[in-house]
Amino acid sequence: MNPIDPQLPPGDPLVMLGLLASAILFAVGIVGFLSRRNMITMFLCTELMFQGAGLAMISYGRQHMDLSGQVFVIFILTVAAAEAALALGLVVLLYRRKETLSAEAWKELAES
Amino acid sequence: MNLIWASILIPVVTAAVIAVANARAARSLAAVGSLASLGALAAFAWQFPAWSTGAVHPEPCGCAWLSSINATLGVGFDSVSLMLALLEAFLIPICVIGSWTAISERQREYYGWFMLLHASILLAFAARDVLLFYVGYEFTLVPLLFIIAIWGGPERRQAAHKLFLYTFLGSLFFLGSILFVGWQHHASTGLWSWDMGTLSTFASARLPANTQYWLFAALLAGFAVKVPLFPVHTWLPLAHNQAPTAGSVILAGTLLKLGTYGIFRLALPMAPEGGAALAVLASVLCTVAVVYAALICWVQTDAKKLVAYSSVSHLGICMLGLFALNPVGAQGSVLYMINHGLSTGALFLLIGMAYERYHVKDMDQIGGLAKRMPVWAFFMVFFTMSSIGLPGLNGFVGEYLCLFGAYIATGDASTGYPGLLGPGFALVAGTGLILGAMYMLLLVGRYVFGPLREPRDDAHAKHGHDGAHAHDGGHDGGHGDLTGREVGLLVPLALVCLFIGVYPKPMLQAIGPVVERTLAPYPAAVERTLKSQPQAAEAVQADSKEDDRG
Amino acid sequence: MIAAPAMLSSVLALAQGPLDAQAAPELRWAGLALLLPLVSGVLCLLCGWLKVRSKLPAALTIAALGGAFATILRLQGVVGETPVVINLFDWISWTWGDGSRFHGFTANVDLYVDRLTVFWMLFVTGLGTLIALYASEYMESDVGKGYTRFFGAVSIFLFAMGCLVMGGNLVMLYLGWEGVGLASYLLIGYYFTKPEAVAAAKKAFIVNRIGDLGLALALFLTWQCYGTVEYAALWKAIEAAPASSEWTAQAIPWLLMLGAFGKSAQLPLYVWLPDAMEGPTPVSALIHAATMVTAGVYLIARMFPLFIVNPDALAAVAWVGGLTALLAATIGMAQYDMKRIWAYSTISQLGYMFLGLGVGTTFGASYHVFTHAFFKALLFLTAGAVMHGFAGQLDIRKLSGLLKVPGFRLVSLLAVLGCFWLAAFPFTAAFFSKDEILVSAFTAKDERVHVLGWIGLVVAALTAYYTFRVGFRVFFGPVKYEPGDEHHGHDDHDHAHGGHDANASHGGHAQHGQHAQHGHHGEFHPHGPRWAIRVPLVLIAVGAILAGWPSYRTMLDHDAPNWVKTQVAQSSAYQGAPAGDHATHGGHDAVSHDAAHADHADDAHADHEHLVLGMDAHTAVGRLGSLACIAGILVSLYLHLINRGAADALRRALMGSIATRWIVVGAERKWMVDEFYDWVIRLPLRLVANILSAIDELLLDAGIVNGLGALPAAVGRIFRPLYGGVVQGYAVTMAGGVALVAAWVIWIWLRGAN
Repeated sequence: MNPIDPQLPPGDPLVMLGLLASAILFAVGIVGFLSRRNMITMFLCTELMFQGAGLAMISYGRQHMDLSGQVFVIFILTVAAAEAALALGLVVLLYRRKETLSAEAWKELAES
Repeated sequence: MNLIWASILIPVVTAAVIAVANARAARSLAAVGSLASLGALAAFAWQFPAWSTGAVHPEPCGCAWLSSINATLGVGFDSVSLMLALLEAFLIPICVIGSWTAISERQREYYGWFMLLHASILLAFAARDVLLFYVGYEFTLVPLLFIIAIWGGPERRQAAHKLFLYTFLGSLFFLGSILFVGWQHHASTGLWSWDMGTLSTFASARLPANTQYWLFAALLAGFAVKVPLFPVHTWLPLAHNQAPTAGSVILAGTLLKLGTYGIFRLALPMAPEGGAALAVLASVLCTVAVVYAALICWVQTDAKKLVAYSSVSHLGICMLGLFALNPVGAQGSVLYMINHGLSTGALFLLIGMAYERYHVKDMDQIGGLAKRMPVWAFFMVFFTMSSIGLPGLNGFVGEYLCLFGAYIATGDASTGYPGLLGPGFALVAGTGLILGAMYMLLLVGRYVFGPLREPRDDAHAKHGHDGAHAHDGGHDGGHGDLTGREVGLLVPLALVCLFIGVYPKPMLQAIGPVVERTLAPYPAAVERTLKSQPQAAEAVQADSKEDDRG
Repeated sequence: MIAAPAMLSSVLALAQGPLDAQAAPELRWAGLALLLPLVSGVLCLLCGWLKVRSKLPAALTIAALGGAFATILRLQGVVGETPVVINLFDWISWTWGDGSRFHGFTANVDLYVDRLTVFWMLFVTGLGTLIALYASEYMESDVGKGYTRFFGAVSIFLFAMGCLVMGGNLVMLYLGWEGVGLASYLLIGYYFTKPEAVAAAKKAFIVNRIGDLGLALALFLTWQCYGTVEYAALWKAIEAAPASSEWTAQAIPWLLMLGAFGKSAQLPLYVWLPDAMEGPTPVSALIHAATMVTAGVYLIARMFPLFIVNPDALAAVAWVGGLTALLAATIGMAQYDMKRIWAYSTISQLGYMFLGLGVGTTFGASYHVFTHAFFKALLFLTAGAVMHGFAGQLDIRKLSGLLKVPGFRLVSLLAVLGCFWLAAFPFTAAFFSKDEILVSAFTAKDERVHVLGWIGLVVAALTAYYTFRVGFRVFFGPVKYEPGDEHHGHDDHDHAHGGHDANASHGGHAQHGQHAQHGHHGEFHPHGPRWAIRVPLVLIAVGAILAGWPSYRTMLDHDAPNWVKTQVAQSSAYQGAPAGDHATHGGHDAVSHDAAHADHADDAHADHEHLVLGMDAHTAVGRLGSLACIAGILVSLYLHLINRGAADALRRALMGSIATRWIVVGAERKWMVDEFYDWVIRLPLRLVANILSAIDELLLDAGIVNGLGALPAAVGRIFRPLYGGVVQGYAVTMAGGVALVAAWVIWIWLRGAN
């Protein structure tokens, strides 16, 4: 039973491998994001998740012999780069405020 | 058409300019913008051709707004909506100039929000497209929320929250109802239309009586909060009491009139069967409100709260006139909307002026101000008399026509408009005249007349006693009498009150045709209601009398 | 009483002549009678704003009122038997539907002028002018303070009174009605820093409002019944459909009555008038004695065609009038404040007028209004002069022998003259007018009211007693006086009220040091009034004497028309004649349109049908009335002049016995009516209001509204633990949610696949 798509023409191992790698990347990212408290690490984990998603797109593009997946990824990379600049800047600001990188220091949204 | 949009857009542009301009220029810019808006509207009113026909002018254009459902940017006035819009445009410069000394913080935001509030109220009165009306109606809440929550009294946050959530909830009923009617129109004709006239004709003619009943109930529920009718009025005293002076003026002056206007413009024409069926129930609520709120006024010690509750009582009489479903009452009701805006607005303004000087509104601590401020006292008495319906001033005509309308709204068809109310309603609501005199003269007797009682205001004591009279020249005018600016604000209001009282004929003649159009389906609908449930109507009537007396 | 409508229809059919009003646009100058006071009111307002510190406002007001008086005099010459309607401008007027009857409402600023209107306006504007002149001196200590306010309000009062009397429809009447209420409010509360004055003003306005509600409802009902509220059209409508046995037509008089009782201070709404004495004395004289309080009488006289359909209502008017007269007289006997005594006597005399209306003699009532206006104004103004001279002293126990005080001889003389008139001493004007009312009471068709004639006679005796109680105490006897300790309410003004001459300022100074040395009048120099007070007093006294002229003339020459009767007969008021004793002649009057005839007819025929004590009514009432008056005066003479100790002894004796104690206590405490209203109406209402206020704030707002508002928050509290504020917490929630959705999708997909 093919868990991805029953109509896939079997045989392109690159697709399967790519998807597997993307799933692993995403899973690592999510586990990392949930388990770590360091904001920079958490940010890196989100980047991992991004890349996992990107890799999945490229793989599907490969399967459908379509370039739009890759276009998307280039787009995502650009956004991610911009976002990295912003996010790291934010982290620096947050660090200056409380002299710690722990995400737990920021609980203002809590319903107290 | 262009003048209408000009009057609406000038304040918006002014708000934008204020946002980038120097903070000190904000108040002058706002004054100029509001006067320009008034000028544009006045110019429109000057060449308005439909004063005596009751027609809408100009024909709402089909200019697309949301083209997929054929919502348009149709604006146009008939004489009633034009009068209310003129009232709004007339009050706004007064509010703006009246805030010059009262507001010293965050002036740019304040005047900017005021301009937006003005624009949205005008839009609501001008809109001929129900969705556009909804936008104007609803958007008023946003500026008002900020005006109250930032520049209000000590409980301003709570007041602003309550105002927003309460009236927003009411609006949902209204939105749901008009979406329902629009959808029915589409389902029945295959066309989308949101034009008020089209939808009213469609709904009154094509919807079954039962549907109209629920439609009217929903619209009434929606607008009743805004009016506000008993028992959904409790947001009003709080909001009035906490709002800054100009906020109270505009709230009493025109914002509440959006509710009465909504009932007049949408609920009554759309669902005559429902209107006839629910008129008695609504009138019972109105009469209860008159007596109930008047009695509450009587035991208030806070001057502003007293006037706030009096709004509930007054609007009860206003709505009673409307539900009389005859031209006399409806005329009176429309006139009352304008009169109440003028006199209650002026009273809030006057209380605000005294508050600016003393920072106290509690009549246990302050009173006898006539000794200090004779000119202020003159205006206070003048507008009190206007408010309690002294003949020769504006309040009288509207109030008496409302009661008169309710009185003659019996099943008797000799007037051409059978009604469902009758002398009992007029009698009970008429006690509002006595109670009105009681609480307003209590206000005047304690706040204006009597021995002078001034609060030992710490801040003022320090300033005033140390620096001799230096403080009197200060920006809040010290404890002196009204300044030229303040007198200049009150005189136009007083003149308009006097004019309407002395010569209401042009207004009555302008309102008449619109009222007749609005009420056109009612005689038949009332006849049907009378036939279907004569006993029920009588029983309710009897109950109401007992309730009110008890 | 059941036959009344039928009778009415026949009478009206005959009487349509004088009721057919004509439009008279050429008489628009009559509007000056309204315009001039209004203009002077506006000018006074301007004076106030310009801070005028002279007597200019008084001059303006006097000039305007004089002009109004001249206008009315001219009008008297012009207006004949036919009423005229003068349209000034359109006020409230529009129609709907086809515009036919019941399809429109018209209430324009019209003047309806017939002889009754002119008659009323003559003494209103005439007395108004004189009293304004009086006030120009009386109020002079307030020049630059309240002077403009005072005269502005007086002008407004005269304007409103003009609207009330001359207005051509009920709405105009209502305008005037409320307008005089406003003026009365402003003037009673003239000393606005004095809490009692403010309270009295408020009370007057609110009590009047109760009556006004009745009037407003009557107005609605009139329209509903007849389709119009304009007099001219109304009389026609009544003529066309007189058989009004429906409850609506029957109810109109009851509601109108309520309005009249409020304005004219009758039971149960009289309580405001005594308190209204807090106002300056000229105001008490003008508004609360001579003119405004007679508006109720005017209302009923004017609307008499609406009253005669309901004999029960008329009987009620008569009874209320009679009982009010009695009650007020008993209270007046036991008061010590001169102005209050005159106030109660006003209520009592107004009671007579209503008694007259109720028994159908609108002529008698109007005549009494006329005579009363003069002598009561005189009494108040002399009281004012005394008060002015004695630093606010009004207590009749502290003033004595003023006839002998220099500067006060004229005032005292005139006051005593006024006392004779008020007591209806034989062959004074009031004697004739009161006589007219009592004769009608004894001879009324409705036998239920005959007993009121006897009550009226008793009241006449009481009146004579309490009038001369004041007269003998204050103006006769040994010279003895104590100045008052304040100048009526100027608690914060300086007390140099008499700064016009050296002597008076000296008096003013002395008065400051007076508290320690009461009674030593060597240091207190009462200052007598000057010409602006004396001239009006004399003129009003002359007026009081001349007010009897119509009757003197009739006495001398039986064919001579009674002028007042002529005036009243040629108006809607005389439609009432059939309900009273003139039943057989009323129609005759109307047909002949000739008051001389009417008068003659009355004297010749009316009386020998009704015998009182075996004499014809006129003779009997004349003799009994004289007897009552003289008896009252004699008792008074003994108790209050010859042996003043006896009065106190009598009081002590009455107080000593439980059985009689209530008489003294009750009368002195005004039969506790104020307290009764306070306990039965005001306090319960106050309690209800407080309860409602609590309900509104606690139950409706804090309970239901805030409760509903708290509901979403309460629901949210259940899920609160999910939102701890830690970023990972939110992330877990999100990831979990996504996982759940994914699992659900996969499950669906797998099920579909199978």
